[in-house]
Amino acid sequence: MVSIVRRFVEETFEKLVGDADAVFRVSLAVHELLENAAKYAVGDKTDLTVHFESDGAGANIKLTNQTTPECLERLRAFVSEIQSSDNPLLLYQSMMRRKLDVEGASGLGLARIRAEGELDLSLEIEGTVVTVVASCLPARGPSI
Amino acid sequence: MSLDAAEAMKGNNFTARASTRDRCIEVSLTGTADLTVSSQLDNFLRDVHIEAQRCLAQEVTVDVRQLEFMNSSCLKSFVRWICAVQEQVDPGKYRIVFVSSTSVGWQRRSLSALASLANEIVSIQA
Repeated sequence: MVSIVRRFVEETFEKLVGDADAVFRVSLAVHELLENAAKYAVGDKTDLTVHFESDGAGANIKLTNQTTPECLERLRAFVSEIQSSDNPLLLYQSMMRRKLDVEGASGLGLARIRAEGELDLSLEIEGTVVTVVASCLPARGPSI
Repeated sequence: MSLDAAEAMKGNNFTARASTRDRCIEVSLTGTADLTVSSQLDNFLRDVHIEAQRCLAQEVTVDVRQLEFMNSSCLKSFVRWICAVQEQVDPGKYRIVFVSSTSVGWQRRSLSALASLANEIVSIQA
């Protein structure tokens, strides 16, 4: 299912935006965020919004789901570490080695979105409902 | 050697194959490497490493031109493999060459990140 959504996003935005690399960066975020939701969300609802500037310069991906307090704390810590780093690529390389012993998950998805996708990450939290936002410039273009 | 993971991963739109020629191993990956195949890919790369040690391989080429996407779990399988090779001393050490396509979106950024972990053993052909 995750790959189907990613392909849909790729194919849809490829028609609207002439920048293949920008489309890849957004589809990377969509894939990694959806896989995180598949692993850590509770309940049966996940909302995904993708907003893309027509020139490919801006994008905004929001994924909302309910999760457990424990997962939420881990997510806060992850995002805080990523936000506070002034060298996302170096942090990503460091995480690649640090996370080798972590079983059952890569622990790399968010750092990958930041480093490879060059997207900023932030969280919006209400109780145990969390929205992960991955964005570059404010987006006003086509959305799905 | 014929390491063929295609049968085990049937239905997941992913295949991984490897063959040995002289002291080189050729690996070919196709389809989509996502959460559904990450543990099999881990095992596959471990077997490739064992075979490379056995035949004292000088080089392993990994053709990813037909690999549509790789998620972070599968990327981590490659990190694990690269780190294992990096820890070897000669003659157990070998080069890893990714054969990539400039037309597949994920490859430039993700393979560069992998190569930056160990520039002395990992290179990318585009």
